[in-house]
Amino acid sequence: MKFLFDVKTRTVSLGLILSLTLVACGSETTEPAAPAAEAAPEITFASQAVLGAEAFATNCAACHGTSLEGTTLGPLLSGFSWVQRWGSQTPELLLNNIQANMPPGGNDNITDEDYLNIVAHILQVNGVDSVFNALTASSVFEIAANISQVVAQRQRPEPPAPVGLTVAGNTEDYVPFVPLTQAMLEDPDPADWPMHRRNHYAHSYSPLDQINTENVGNLTLEWVWNMHEGDSEPAPLVYNGIVYMINPGNVIQALDGKTGELIWEHWTGPANRQDMRNIAMYEDKIIQATTDARLVALDARTGEQVWESIVADSSKGFSNSSGPIVADDKVIVGLAGCARYIPEDCYISAYNADDGALLWQFETIAEMGQPGGDTWGGLDDVFRAGGETWITGSYDPDLKLTYWGTAQQKPWVPVSRHMTIYDVGLYTNSTVAVNTDSGELDWYFQHVPAEALDLDEVFERVLVNRGDDKYVFSIGKYGILWKNDRVTGKFEDYVETVFQNAFTNIDSETGEVTYRQDIQNAQLNEWTSACPSSTGGKDWHSMTYHPPSGLIIAPLSQTCLENAAREVALVQGGGGLAASRKFFEMPGTDGNLGKVGAYNVDTMEEVWSYQQRASLHTGTISTAGDLVFVGDLDRRFKALNINNGEILWETRLGTSVQGHPVSFAIDGKQYIMVNSALGGSSPRTVPGVIATEITYPRWGNAIYVFSLPD
Amino acid sequence: MQLGRKSTLLFFIASLSLFNVSAQTQTETYRARLSPMPTTPQTVTEIIGEGEVILTLSGNTLTVDGNFTGMSSVATMGHIHNGPPAQPGPVAFSLEVSSATGGSISGELELTDEQVTALKNNEFYVQIHSQNNAPGELRGWIFLRSHFQN
Repeated sequence: MKFLFDVKTRTVSLGLILSLTLVACGSETTEPAAPAAEAAPEITFASQAVLGAEAFATNCAACHGTSLEGTTLGPLLSGFSWVQRWGSQTPELLLNNIQANMPPGGNDNITDEDYLNIVAHILQVNGVDSVFNALTASSVFEIAANISQVVAQRQRPEPPAPVGLTVAGNTEDYVPFVPLTQAMLEDPDPADWPMHRRNHYAHSYSPLDQINTENVGNLTLEWVWNMHEGDSEPAPLVYNGIVYMINPGNVIQALDGKTGELIWEHWTGPANRQDMRNIAMYEDKIIQATTDARLVALDARTGEQVWESIVADSSKGFSNSSGPIVADDKVIVGLAGCARYIPEDCYISAYNADDGALLWQFETIAEMGQPGGDTWGGLDDVFRAGGETWITGSYDPDLKLTYWGTAQQKPWVPVSRHMTIYDVGLYTNSTVAVNTDSGELDWYFQHVPAEALDLDEVFERVLVNRGDDKYVFSIGKYGILWKNDRVTGKFEDYVETVFQNAFTNIDSETGEVTYRQDIQNAQLNEWTSACPSSTGGKDWHSMTYHPPSGLIIAPLSQTCLENAAREVALVQGGGGLAASRKFFEMPGTDGNLGKVGAYNVDTMEEVWSYQQRASLHTGTISTAGDLVFVGDLDRRFKALNINNGEILWETRLGTSVQGHPVSFAIDGKQYIMVNSALGGSSPRTVPGVIATEITYPRWGNAIYVFSLPD
Repeated sequence: MQLGRKSTLLFFIASLSLFNVSAQTQTETYRARLSPMPTTPQTVTEIIGEGEVILTLSGNTLTVDGNFTGMSSVATMGHIHNGPPAQPGPVAFSLEVSSATGGSISGELELTDEQVTALKNNEFYVQIHSQNNAPGELRGWIFLRSHFQN
């Protein structure tokens, strides 16, 4: 492809030279030549790149940095990782992607020519140095093939990032190792936090009560450990006094929970600045998903790699941002990066915990001829996108069912995906209950069919028993707390936790939602105003269930958005998200973005709420000491009284408090642990444009451990 | 019927609102918090400012008194628009507004009975337009003042 392109380029250039020569010759004997100033300047790749630099500075640099280096608002668009992602693609696909999705706030003042110029600028910055002809909307050469070897070498990070163990050690030097069995996972020791959200039911609840409403005001810092920099939304594990934690860039560390001493560190790679929320533990292994969609098991004692499996092909855009759970002796993991028009779809998959062998896959997109396959408006399978499972699910050992939320269809608005509001697109935006033995769907409940505003229902499923009744609770970005029977999926009840005006009706018998008419009929480039915004309601920060009080306490967010669909061509390899968005304060909240809401799981009534200006950036956890812990963008980490939401203690960390707090005990002493961290998409971008007065350092990922004085 | 905790609180707040009642006319106090119009990372430094508007309804007369500060350019117009929370709508009333980046916004308006009902249903909002942001720079929906004290 490159060869043909160059031949064509040089042929054209030769023709141009000949033409100029002829014009010059003719000028000596015939009529005077037209003044040079009147000749249209030749448009070349280089001239496009010059203009593209200006257009980029105006429209893109605020989020992606003036040198395409990336900021907290947008990813980097240069260097090795960008070429790794886009090098095998074509300028046509890159143009389609940018035109459909960027900038997020709208593209009213950006012409098609501007977009082409911006693509030329990005390519030039990334070392494309053998293209001469101007780009067109249908330029289809392979990007990497036009980057010279010299430039490609320069793009590699220097020095090369380490791979494998960088700090060797053994947890048995600190405490005798006892394998973590499935039985122990099903009934964790009160001193441990051995999985994401602590138990299979995703309660994020600790039965420890040494720290309680009476003495929490005395909490003091025990130790702090700085983490690797980059995007981070971590959820550490603690087992038998050892802290296991994932850093940005797929780096795992083991630390002594009592002192903060590093025991071992393993770089699984790729060494980037990307985020991974959680890891899992089983028997003697720590199991991580990687940002390039692999599963890797490490020896929990030493950090040495035990096995590795491929979850999906990252060159096709697949990725992971959340880790696995271990359920029924299997490693079960979701998948993200499923917005592209390719034959492969998103799935949940299970692996043998001993060797990583694939056991089953459950695809979250129903294809033609399959059950539910007729819900995509007759769209060809290749254009059915979305349904990511980017948040880790939960598990009921008695029912042998694993519960996951699925993301919405892609692109975000029905008209962009060439569909209508009646094309519900199974099994997107649903709770899916999947049999852990077979990987078959047991039941599903689609909370918001034909989703139209980038408000997915993908977050954690909290399992609650009330007497003999078994329920699953969830809150999606619409901020609706859903209550379903988890044996059958039957809708039971709901409560709106924040203001929403997207639905004019929610059927109290069936849970069926009815979108506002203007949202149903939204056309391309037509602005629709709705609440909440794409940061939720609720986002990835897990809520907690406090069994003693029967309360669910959720970290919530109060902002709104204007949304306008963009056009997306049905082209294989294309796709994307395709909407312009603007954000504003939620009316009636007095500018309070953060809300902690407590809900009675029987009556579904709000029992109390606490609101504040700063958005919340951690999950909530609760303890038997009648406490709720939560952290925010303004660096504050707080303890609330679970009975009334009163703030009983707070402290301020180095930067925004982000991740999932945990509580554990060593030698009978209770600890509270929380992370400060940077990064994140909508939950950070939206407060960044609304609560602009809140400032915090752009570095400072760390883990903090608190306890009561001896 | 026994009042629940929430209902008791609402009743108490409603009683406080009525405390200002004059001998002849009942008054209600409303409030709008003014904050930037919908924005993006690209426009966040161009659509700026804040403000507060207190509105007193006496009979069908609505007295508007507020202030604003920190806009990107001088205010050009102030309006009350008709639209439910977070759904923009048409202009219903014009207000007096300081021709500056900060100042006052005021007016005395006669509402129809329908408009009084719309006010009570939170279907009005205050909007200030500026030289640089002709479609609007600051906006805030009008709620009973007691709503913000819950």
